[in-house]
Amino acid sequence: MDRQQEYVLRTIEERDIRFIRLWFTDVLGTLKSVAVAPAELEGAFTEGIGFDGSSIEGLARVFESDMLVLPDADTFQVLPWRGENPGTARMFCDIRLPDGSASQADPRNVLQRALTKASDKGLTFYTHPEIEFYLFEQNMRPGEPPTPVDQAGFFDHVPHGTGHDFRRSAISMLEQMGISVEFSHHEAGPGQNEIDLRYADALSTADNIMTFRTVIKEVALEQGVFASFMPKPLADAPGSGMHTHVSLFEGDRNAFYEAGAPYQLSSTAKGFIAGILHHAPEISAVTNQWVNSYKRIWSGAEAPAHVSWGHNNRSAMVRVPMYKPAKGQSARVEVRSIDASANPYLAYAVVLAAGMKGIEEGYELPPEAEDDVWNLTDRERRAMGIDPLPASLDHAIHLMEGSELVAETLGEHVFDFFLRNKRAEWAGYRDQVTQFELDQYLKRL
Amino acid sequence: MNVPREQSRRAALVRAGFAEPTRAEPMLDELGLPADAIATMSRAASPDQALLGLVRLREVLPDAEKGSFAALFADDPDGWARLVAVTGASAALTDRLVRHPGQWHDVAAARIASREELYAALTDAVGDRTGTEAYDALRVAYFRQLIQIAAVDLTGDGIEQFPVIAEALSDLAGAALEAALRIARNTVPDEQTCRLSVIAMGKCGGRELNYISDVDVIFVAEPAGDADEDEALAVGTKLATELMRACSVATGEGSLWQVDPALRPEGKQGPLVRTVASHRNYYERWAKTWEFQALLKARPIAGDEELGAAYLEVIQPMVWRAAGRDHFVEDVQAMRRRVEQHLPAAEADRELKLGKGGLRDIEFSVQLLQLVHGRTDDRLRNRSTLAAMESLSRGGYIGRVDAHELDHAYRQLRLLEHRIQLSRMRRTHLMPTGEGDLRALGRAVGLRVDAERKVVELWRSQSAQVRRLHERIFYRPLLSAVARLSADDARLSPESARDRFAALGFRDSAGAIRHIEALTSGVSRRAAIQRTLLPVMLQWFAEEVDPDLGLLAFRKLSDALGSTPWFLKMLRDEGRAAETLARVLAGSRYVGQLLERAPSAVSVFGSREARRPLSRDQLNSTMRAAIQRQDDDDAALLAIRSARRNELIRIAVAELSGELEDLDALEIALTDLAAATLQGALDLAIRHVEKESGTMLSTSIAIIGMGRFGGRELGFGSDADVMFVHDPLPGADAGIAQAQAEQVVGYLRTGLSASGPDPALGVDADLRPEGKAGPIVRTLASYAGYYERWSEGWEAQALLRATPVAGDDELGSRFTGLIDPLRWPEGGISEKAVRQIRTLKARMEAERIPRGGDVRTHFKLGRGGLSDVEWTVQLAQLEHAHEIPALRHPGTITPLRVMAEHDLISLRDAAALRESWSLATRLRNASVLWRGRPVDALPSNLTDADGIARILGGPVGAGHELGERYLRVARRARAVVEREFYGTDPDDGDDFEPTR
Repeated sequence: MDRQQEYVLRTIEERDIRFIRLWFTDVLGTLKSVAVAPAELEGAFTEGIGFDGSSIEGLARVFESDMLVLPDADTFQVLPWRGENPGTARMFCDIRLPDGSASQADPRNVLQRALTKASDKGLTFYTHPEIEFYLFEQNMRPGEPPTPVDQAGFFDHVPHGTGHDFRRSAISMLEQMGISVEFSHHEAGPGQNEIDLRYADALSTADNIMTFRTVIKEVALEQGVFASFMPKPLADAPGSGMHTHVSLFEGDRNAFYEAGAPYQLSSTAKGFIAGILHHAPEISAVTNQWVNSYKRIWSGAEAPAHVSWGHNNRSAMVRVPMYKPAKGQSARVEVRSIDASANPYLAYAVVLAAGMKGIEEGYELPPEAEDDVWNLTDRERRAMGIDPLPASLDHAIHLMEGSELVAETLGEHVFDFFLRNKRAEWAGYRDQVTQFELDQYLKRL
Repeated sequence: MNVPREQSRRAALVRAGFAEPTRAEPMLDELGLPADAIATMSRAASPDQALLGLVRLREVLPDAEKGSFAALFADDPDGWARLVAVTGASAALTDRLVRHPGQWHDVAAARIASREELYAALTDAVGDRTGTEAYDALRVAYFRQLIQIAAVDLTGDGIEQFPVIAEALSDLAGAALEAALRIARNTVPDEQTCRLSVIAMGKCGGRELNYISDVDVIFVAEPAGDADEDEALAVGTKLATELMRACSVATGEGSLWQVDPALRPEGKQGPLVRTVASHRNYYERWAKTWEFQALLKARPIAGDEELGAAYLEVIQPMVWRAAGRDHFVEDVQAMRRRVEQHLPAAEADRELKLGKGGLRDIEFSVQLLQLVHGRTDDRLRNRSTLAAMESLSRGGYIGRVDAHELDHAYRQLRLLEHRIQLSRMRRTHLMPTGEGDLRALGRAVGLRVDAERKVVELWRSQSAQVRRLHERIFYRPLLSAVARLSADDARLSPESARDRFAALGFRDSAGAIRHIEALTSGVSRRAAIQRTLLPVMLQWFAEEVDPDLGLLAFRKLSDALGSTPWFLKMLRDEGRAAETLARVLAGSRYVGQLLERAPSAVSVFGSREARRPLSRDQLNSTMRAAIQRQDDDDAALLAIRSARRNELIRIAVAELSGELEDLDALEIALTDLAAATLQGALDLAIRHVEKESGTMLSTSIAIIGMGRFGGRELGFGSDADVMFVHDPLPGADAGIAQAQAEQVVGYLRTGLSASGPDPALGVDADLRPEGKAGPIVRTLASYAGYYERWSEGWEAQALLRATPVAGDDELGSRFTGLIDPLRWPEGGISEKAVRQIRTLKARMEAERIPRGGDVRTHFKLGRGGLSDVEWTVQLAQLEHAHEIPALRHPGTITPLRVMAEHDLISLRDAAALRESWSLATRLRNASVLWRGRPVDALPSNLTDADGIARILGGPVGAGHELGERYLRVARRARAVVEREFYGTDPDDGDDFEPTR
């Protein structure tokens, strides 16, 4: 037992917390929760709480023994939900086997393993996501597209808009939960919002993203609307991405920064970008894990469908943003392919692994894309050596199947489960007869 | 004789141990010493160094003192001896003397001051001073005392007075801390608002400090009077910080040692000082088992005595409750493993302190026993290692003789450590390497002749003693709980024995006690041998995956062999026999079960020679002899099976002891054994049928090995896949010949497959023409007729691995002559045949995995498993064996290598296939050895995984990596199979599993 755990027990006492939710995430990125009473918590810290892993997606047991959730006291937060009085708190958990070893099937463990590998090389991985989502009216008619809560555009100020109130209370609730919000504005689509989480190490960020999604959905319900992180909910409006700024630190030094180099990019940064580009197609099934994800990727404009990088090029998959030259510490690159519904633990793990691979193997960084990649023809792109990302989930699955990098990063167990689950999803999708087909074919054929 | 005077002095120098007499002579003259002084220098660790030191010292003495210094030799022989000893043993202390020459009087008159005197001397020296001035005063006063302790140490019996010296060093350290606290109080403003007590931990707490090492402490603070607690703690932190600085900072007078406060609550993250209540809070709620172990040594050493006493009163009871905490047993075991594994490889062979047989090992083991048994027995609550050893011995927890020897070994090792540290006053636990240093060290511990070599011997023999420590102090006393032993031995109560068994990793303590009782009770010779044997066996059991299993199997074995004289004698006398047996029994149910039926086969443990698998010829004659000894056919059959069982034990034990050079050697041994067994059974069956019918057999019979048998790749638990062929003698009646052959085969199969006392060998002939519907044995002509009907080229796949294994050699060759053109068809096989083979394999994959099985984990039929690899090889053989003769081989790994050599597969792909096939094979074998029965898939139970991983050569507890490793290797192999066998190109974008 350490001081942090001591602090948790004390806080629970002082703030009259009656329930503690132990949170963990399944392989697909869905938040799971086990509630315990304060009296059980001390035991949970030392021994964990047993549960049947086979009932959770992707946690199907590797060994026959029960699994344990072990709360991470550093993640303790009182939940600020309205109506939760007496109070409720939450902690994220690691999943363990009864002998205390980490479960290979725990997404949090997947990310921890990837981070440990980087830290063995002296590097720490920081991320800063910009999360987009839509707010829709609650009363949806089946078979019709959802109705956004407003019709505003980028950076519009909407007087008394639902979105405005919503953002105010969401931000205040997030901050009550210790999640700093850096910036927020109205995104390009009607009813679309973006909230940026502040820079933190990748594990904290991933925990924060899980919390963030829950908070956003809670607040939306309080406001009588609902929130969706679906990658592409409306055919004629932009999708919701999760552009993530990433950087590596070596101790206190930003390892991406090199004064005087082009764009101040160190060779570490170049290797990292090259790694992400090289492996982008095979990690797509993780960074863009749904059938619907590929409808965002291929919707043009700011969505990146092509493996390219550029300096302030919003069509590139990896963007090297401008920053003030004096601020060497803020050197970073923005990965624009990840969408808002990815499992953040797995997505950050594969992005990190791909980048690290680029550094270790000394991949060559291809030339920068200076034009809007969407404005090129396919032949031009091919001639310039710009490869496309997978066109569909099906295609992405195939590419992942052959990926040693993804298998090693996820571990054999998660790798296999993930593929099986995604194949089933694709098959389920293909089995549908869509409105598109009926409209196009029914009468004509 | 008229020897010149010069030469005789030179000889005297040499005899006195001077290494460089030429250099010594002028120095002797300079000191003005008479010739008979030379002999007195022979007691110095290095006479050369002593002499040089004395000369240097004399040089810096004021003229007034030079006279008394010169007279010392004559006036005060003891004082002279002390001065010689110090200068001869320590270059560092000699330097100090030269710096403060007046202290030579102290050395000459050296004695060990009492604790009170030491505290007063150092504190007075510091007085009201602060800063460097104070630090210097502390250092001068400290070394003035230290050099006296060294003088006494070096001129007395080092072993005998070791505790006195170690206590004096600890008290001196305490005095230094007290004086350092005085400096801190002189320095820090508002010091009077805080009461501070310094608690010594570690060696200093145990009053067994060495000459130079970190001094471990914990600080306890309380506000004085009605001072504010927060402010007082802030002052306390400043006091503690200045105290540590006063000891550790290097000034012109050097430094004392580092004060290490890392054992405090929360370690380096925690506050430097805490109140008593805060300490209590921490230990009540959060402390880990090892922290309580450290607290065993806690002792107030400086500062506020009342506060120190209050701290002890609160903390001590908790130490003894620690053993009742959850996880105590697991923690202790983990700590034990850590200590055992903590061997820094680079300097392991010079380490006095760390590693097996080192000082740390003794100290840790003694503390562990104190924690385990001190809960119920407060006589064990000693702080020092030697005192605790004595209490453990007096309380009956370890044997008296063991305790005595261990005590001696501990003192001896510590003495070596002290002498090494004294030489340069460096914090080191490494044996020196230079010859001169070793020689001085040997002389410093009293060795005179051949000191540089003898000292290494001395050290090695002591650490060899200590290396058997666990057996002696953990395990041997366990016997005393149940057996009546000599008065020298430990007397453990049954409750204490149960605690101890649990702490050592036995799950069923009560059962373990029962077994030991049964094995050792009584006055028989056998019980007496068991009593000497068991302690070390118990240790080996405890180091394996399943100690309980090992002990139970050993009990059964001993019960069965009780009256056999050689059994216990072998274990007692034959080198590693007992260890091999213990480790095998605790790691393999398979061997345990076989031995249960054939206890006498345990003789294979006697020597490595006895475990070398027999050759095929030796096996054949063994089988022949087994048959010939029995007139009764059924009895002869049993004899064959027993002979096979004994050989299985031999092979299994050789494999488990890592004595077979590779997988190939194991497979060949098992294949030869199966072949010889079939040969024996065939001979017997023929004898039986001829006897029954009263006629000679009118046909010759051969047995063809198929599958892994034909490929010489059998594993533990494999059935023998075969086909039977016969060929009637010229002129024989075809009907009679067929009937006779069927009788022979029938007798053989039933005889080997039926259940019986010894393991059955399944004889599986399902690969024969028409499968189960076809006749069990056919004539060669019938095979020829049948094979003639084949037309498509794929049917011969199973024949690729056919090899005659027993019976008529000539018939066997004719059979292969028949099938060679089929299995290695000229021009390869057609596209259509390839398609058919692929289809067949695909169908098998869909149908053959047993219900509830997992396609990922099944060794044989799973993805990337054995059959994936084998089919890939076989397809290549059908296609290319006609043009590449080297491919005509019934195995898997050999043709795979040939494929790579001929570019039929890339080296990388071949390696992936080989790795998966070999790992699956080894896992399958290891699973049988561990579980005692055939196993088809990765274990779903962690204990099984641990056991299997251990057999594959991993450390205990490596089980959860096993699955990940196999799945990875198999996945890579499967990717190769998709490409090379199924011919799919992953890059062509085809959807391999469109229906999912």
